[in-house]
Amino acid sequence: MTNRERKRFPAGRPYFDIGVAGRDIILSMDAFLLGLSNGVVCISYCAPVLVPYLLGQRSGVFSNLGIVARFLLGRLAGYLAFSVLAFTFHTALPASVAARGLLMGSTYIILSVLLVFYGLRNRTSSPACAARGSGPFLLKAGRLWPAFAPAILGLLTGLTICPPFLLAFTAAVVKTTLMDSVAFFVLFFCGTSVFFLPFPLVGSLKRLSVLSTVGKLAAGIVGLYYFYAGLILLLGVIKYS
Amino acid sequence: MHHAATMTYLRAALTSLPMMLMTFIILSRGKLTHDPRHLFALVTTFYFLNTLFFLMVKTGRTDRWRAILFTVFAVAFVISFISHYVEARGSMALSESEILECRTPFCHIVIPMTIIPLALTRTIIFPGTMTGVYAAIASMFIIWIGASLSLGRGFCAWGCFLGGWDDGFSRIMKRPIIKSIAKKWHYLSFAVLLAVALTSAAMLSPTYCEWLCPYKAVTEYVQVTSLTRLVQMIIFMTLFAGLVVILPLLAKRRIQCGLFCPFGAFQSFTNKISPFEVRVDKNLCVKCRKCITVCPTFSMSEESLDKGKARMTCIKCGKCIDNCPKGALSFHIKGTSLGDDRTGQRLLFLYPAFLFLSTMAGGNIQSAIVRIIGLFTTGSLLTH
Ligand code: SF4
Ligand code: SF4
Repeated sequence: MTNRERKRFPAGRPYFDIGVAGRDIILSMDAFLLGLSNGVVCISYCAPVLVPYLLGQRSGVFSNLGIVARFLLGRLAGYLAFSVLAFTFHTALPASVAARGLLMGSTYIILSVLLVFYGLRNRTSSPACAARGSGPFLLKAGRLWPAFAPAILGLLTGLTICPPFLLAFTAAVVKTTLMDSVAFFVLFFCGTSVFFLPFPLVGSLKRLSVLSTVGKLAAGIVGLYYFYAGLILLLGVIKYS
Repeated sequence: MHHAATMTYLRAALTSLPMMLMTFIILSRGKLTHDPRHLFALVTTFYFLNTLFFLMVKTGRTDRWRAILFTVFAVAFVISFISHYVEARGSMALSESEILECRTPFCHIVIPMTIIPLALTRTIIFPGTMTGVYAAIASMFIIWIGASLSLGRGFCAWGCFLGGWDDGFSRIMKRPIIKSIAKKWHYLSFAVLLAVALTSAAMLSPTYCEWLCPYKAVTEYVQVTSLTRLVQMIIFMTLFAGLVVILPLLAKRRIQCGLFCPFGAFQSFTNKISPFEVRVDKNLCVKCRKCITVCPTFSMSEESLDKGKARMTCIKCGKCIDNCPKGALSFHIKGTSLGDDRTGQRLLFLYPAFLFLSTMAGGNIQSAIVRIIGLFTTGSLLTH
């Protein structure tokens, strides 16, 4: 590779030529990219849970910052739990590259179709979001341990098994060591967290609904990308088997 | 009566004089050519531009005349751009080696995709040349910054060399067949912006250009050498047919620019720094909703009527102003009071806007005229 090519095709960037690319999408899909694209979904699915809570507290920017930080730590804990689970799944995967490609490709396709579907639908939160419907529980938790309530909320959104998260999970399953799996989820977490940074400044629910619409539509577009990635995987398997 | 009409003509002619002078300098670049084809192109373009400006001033209509120039510009751009590249490299298609050698022409739509990677890595993630050549990166950035500071998103009605396509198609039908589009889709371009800005930053390549740009169908595309390239080509063609031709025809709106283009969404934020805006005089408005139905980019809504100004996505085309039966809408300079000298404020907007459009369009229209003359005399659009 020349320097110029390296600049255009840096390590970790998937490029799409049938065959080689299929494997590369699995092996080198950047966790941060997944986090960023999943974070787009967080705006639409997790924000409706977090922001009303923040607004309910009616606190200033600095104390909001503290709440968001605890929320994020809770999410990180949720993701770390998933990294262990992903590694456990990995050990149960079939050994042959073709069988894995087939499994991953079809999972990508099914989940991306779901992602596009959720992107186009008019509901405000994902049916699979663990934090949804947790209002009464949170109220209780908030009363009993006010300092922990945001962290619990974070943990619940971290344990969400909505389609975009499952897509990320699918990509993490191929990591061969536990450390790789943990690193993947930490990077994934960093990618999603970018979207939570402006939250302490949140002041209007109206803006939130616009943000949520934009986030959902963007999630649908990212879903199309995953659909293509899944298709390439399947075609690669068909071509080389 | 007769005297009044003469005075109107005279006033319009006098107001147009500075524009004539400036467009002449821009079109001739300070020297007159002796080649008859180029001279003909120069004179025709000069009269074309200045007739339109004169009509804008004389009739008080903006969009009606702007749209003619804007559409001609888009077609002329394609003729001159494709011919230029066929002359320079023998084909409309861009080869993989040219991409690797960073010889891809730069387009303003890439700008929002380059900003995050530029901040993070200090490199421009586009295989183009920084300076010196046709469509170099630096010159495009300079044009964009200048236009954004003065016109804001007015760029999309007064500067973009592609927007004239959906603008043109949106004017063909007499009445729209698709009468309304759900509000949720009004935010689609912001979602495209978010998705392509993030994926471009993560992949360090301009994903919109690689996957989603409908205008690849009429400018240049990467040679089809693999299945991926074929899929991309099919996407480009389908998006062009759907977003630039069919939907604008049926809805009589600029669907590509209003609902899909990520640059348009990005450019909306620059409306905040531009001194010009479109305002509603609530005392004159009778809420007939005419402006809401004609706005090509869905920038007028009940809410904006209540607020007294167009949404931040307004491209300052002037269509709503032309169509308001009560004269309730106007181009307005921020910080001045609403009733202040409307004609003066409109002119203060029209001079920079029209001059910008003339600068962007002039060279392309001249080049297209020269090539069309060539087509009739030598049978080819190419000049060598
Ligand atoms: S067209 Fe004019 S009068 Fe009618 S709603 Fe719009 S601003 Fe008001
Ligand atoms: S609000 Fe008026 S000036 Fe702005 S884009 Fe719509 S029609 Fe054009």
